[in-house]
Amino acid sequence: MHRYKFVLYRPLQFLPVLFGISLITFVLVRLIPGDPARVLLGTKSTPTAIAAIRAQYGLDQPIWLQYFYFLQNLAQGEMGKSILYKIDVLRLITTRIEPTLALVLCSVLLSLIIAVPLASLAARSNGGPADHIVRFISTFGIGFPPFWLALMLIIFFSVRLDLFPVSGYGENLADKLYHLILPSLTIALSLSTVLIRSLRTAMIAELKGDLATAARARGMPESIVFWRHVVPNSLVPTVNLLAVNIGWLIGGTVVVESVFALPGMGQLLVRAIFSRDYMVVQGVAMVFACATVLVNFIADIVTVAIDPRVKQ
Amino acid sequence: MSEALLSVRDLSVVFAGDDGPRTLIDNLSFDLGQGEILGLVGESGSGKSLTCRSLVRLMPSPKLAITSGAVMLDGRDLTKVSEADIRDVRGRDIGMIFQNPTSHLDPLMHIGDQIAEGIRVHRGVDGKAARAAALDILAQVGFPHPARQYNGYPHEFSGGMRQRAMIGVALSCDPRILIADEPTTALDVTIQAQILKLLMDLRESRGLSVIMITHDLGIVAQTCDRIAVLRQGKLLEIGGKRDLLGRPQHPYTQNLIASHPSMPARQAAMSSHIVHPTAVVPKARPLIEIDDLHVRFPVTGRGLFSGGPREFSAVKGVSLQVMPGETVGIVGESGSGKSTLARALLGLTPISDGHVSFDGADIVMERAKALSKLRQETAMVFQDPYNALNPRLTIGTMLAEVLAVQDSVPKERIPERIGELLDLVGLEREFAGRKPLSMSGGQCQRAGIARALAVNPKLIVADECVAALDVTIQAQIVDLFRDLKRRLNLTLLFIAHDLAIVRSLCERVVVMYHGEIVEEGPTEDVFSAPREAYTRALIDAIPDIDPDKRLVPPRGGDALIEETSGLVTDEIS
Repeated sequence: MHRYKFVLYRPLQFLPVLFGISLITFVLVRLIPGDPARVLLGTKSTPTAIAAIRAQYGLDQPIWLQYFYFLQNLAQGEMGKSILYKIDVLRLITTRIEPTLALVLCSVLLSLIIAVPLASLAARSNGGPADHIVRFISTFGIGFPPFWLALMLIIFFSVRLDLFPVSGYGENLADKLYHLILPSLTIALSLSTVLIRSLRTAMIAELKGDLATAARARGMPESIVFWRHVVPNSLVPTVNLLAVNIGWLIGGTVVVESVFALPGMGQLLVRAIFSRDYMVVQGVAMVFACATVLVNFIADIVTVAIDPRVKQ
Repeated sequence: MSEALLSVRDLSVVFAGDDGPRTLIDNLSFDLGQGEILGLVGESGSGKSLTCRSLVRLMPSPKLAITSGAVMLDGRDLTKVSEADIRDVRGRDIGMIFQNPTSHLDPLMHIGDQIAEGIRVHRGVDGKAARAAALDILAQVGFPHPARQYNGYPHEFSGGMRQRAMIGVALSCDPRILIADEPTTALDVTIQAQILKLLMDLRESRGLSVIMITHDLGIVAQTCDRIAVLRQGKLLEIGGKRDLLGRPQHPYTQNLIASHPSMPARQAAMSSHIVHPTAVVPKARPLIEIDDLHVRFPVTGRGLFSGGPREFSAVKGVSLQVMPGETVGIVGESGSGKSTLARALLGLTPISDGHVSFDGADIVMERAKALSKLRQETAMVFQDPYNALNPRLTIGTMLAEVLAVQDSVPKERIPERIGELLDLVGLEREFAGRKPLSMSGGQCQRAGIARALAVNPKLIVADECVAALDVTIQAQIVDLFRDLKRRLNLTLLFIAHDLAIVRSLCERVVVMYHGEIVEEGPTEDVFSAPREAYTRALIDAIPDIDPDKRLVPPRGGDALIEETSGLVTDEIS
């Protein structure tokens, strides 16, 4: 079991990473032109009102001191108060995290459900008609931006066929999942194209490789050769690719949540940026960064679990 | 020979290439008797592997097809039976083992499960019975602790144990015929002897018939009953091993036998060439002086909670002197530290302790000076000629690059010098315009040697530089080195695990074992009267081309302990 020891000490390596992320997001947010106090007050803004708001949120302090307070709060598990919503950023995030988390999970599951059979089909008919069709679809999928795909799905499934809701998020579990189908499909369609390409290439190489030859030479039927030897060995490189893409996808939910009006973190982030709600932007960026780090950590654990040769 | 078990008649295999069909196996016929070991000998590309793949219809490419002929087993023609039937033959009637067990075993699966898999599918037994049968097979192929080693993964075992596991997988369904495709080529000579012994024991205990594919005539001489010589898909001759080795009919076979490094004629020819450099250059200063050299590597996988750093000593206190013009062979098994020694000497690996000096410049004390000297006066020739050459450069460009960097030849003389270098290594001058992929392994290795000579070196370090080549090509490259050494007064450090080649080329030999020099001296003395048990075991393990000089697999001693200790991880943890 000593191969899993890294699970214990790897989190220590996250600390400097998270520190760097906090510094970068903190500084970058403040580099955006504009002033939260001015946005908040809108037409009613007077110099004294602006100064009062700035003092209230500590924005009149020097930037290094603001960062120090930010870190101090962070250490106590607080992320400050939203200027726009007037509540704790952490509480705000907890109310918004569920749709995003559900969206990412559903998208990843759906993309695997699409990618593994299609890649298997393509690899096993290497050069045949099924292979050409799958390759065509996956090239096609890479070419379309998610926002366009989302609109097309809405027009077709929601407006024409009236199968799925146009937007929003449900109340109970079934209703929520029902609302998540189209957004997840949007993300899964783009994500699966990447996975199909990687899996197909790996499977073709394994099918032609020594491993498959040896399995056939001891009389294994093609189904065992494929599912017991080729598939697990092809998944090894794809796990890391998937992890990298999930990291990218967490940021990508911003677009899909906006199109489908899902009340998730992506939508919160967009609104916070427009209103220069520094605390919220920082908070959401920190959560996204932590999630990305966590996903890669999980991918490392999965890789070690699949592949006995890997030592972290 | 008793009645034929398997009989191949007029087998032809054709490759449907883009530029028309090419016949790769041409009207091949042979029989395999019950309990017989048949050696299939030939160089790469002779079709020996393809022949065996064709027997069970495991074609490496869909463009290959059996166009005519028959493979008869139990009255059935295997080329005609259904796909399901041939799948039943594979594994159950005919098992196969391969050259590289590492790539042919599933890295993600316990080795025991890989053996049990075949038993479950072919015999239709449940998991528990299959496991019991697999444990039994593990013991038969020489795993000392089957119950514990059942759950080991291939990468946890040494190369020899992996090949044993591969044999176990092939034997899982009790086949009557075993096809062994270069089963020991990737292994050290002592391990090779053990694997060959295992195959012969299995033949005895199970009445197994074996087709042994190999390029090494020594192996067929030691293990086979009959030998078939293949060349370009044609069977040149077939016969009992004594007849064939004693009175070869075909000139190609005669050449093959003459190229074998253990042939007395070849050895005699070589020793006459050996010049003792101390006699030629009196009072010479050693070109290389190694004094109590230690090279240690940190062991990876060191964690926060696993205590202090651990180190692995690759070279432990080696001292060696090499005189200018001398040819020294360094032999030893893989992991003995011979390559590390060479790399440390060239300044490619940090030295942990001790001193190395080249032509008076100390690599540790005067690193900059010594390195610049080394880069100008030494060169290396590598094992894999294809990987060591840039596939995108022509041979001419590659040589020009070296010459330009070295700045030893005026620019306008570079093309002329390239021509001279190609002449030196015996390549046509037109090779300057060719790229490695359009050349054979032997030609690439010659180009690699030309690149080494381009720096005008005093010293060439050749690291296993013939290990990847066919025997006849090996002999040519060794002859080339001998010739170059004489003409250019080169000092040559020749690293090899193949003792026969070292014996034929080098005047002095150094035997390494576990990072230490166990024996050194003039080649003939060491080979004819080895002082150390390890050296003797190493020499005895070489399969001799004379069938009457029996192969003695090493018994006892450290070599065997390392091999049978099983899980490699056990030794570390």
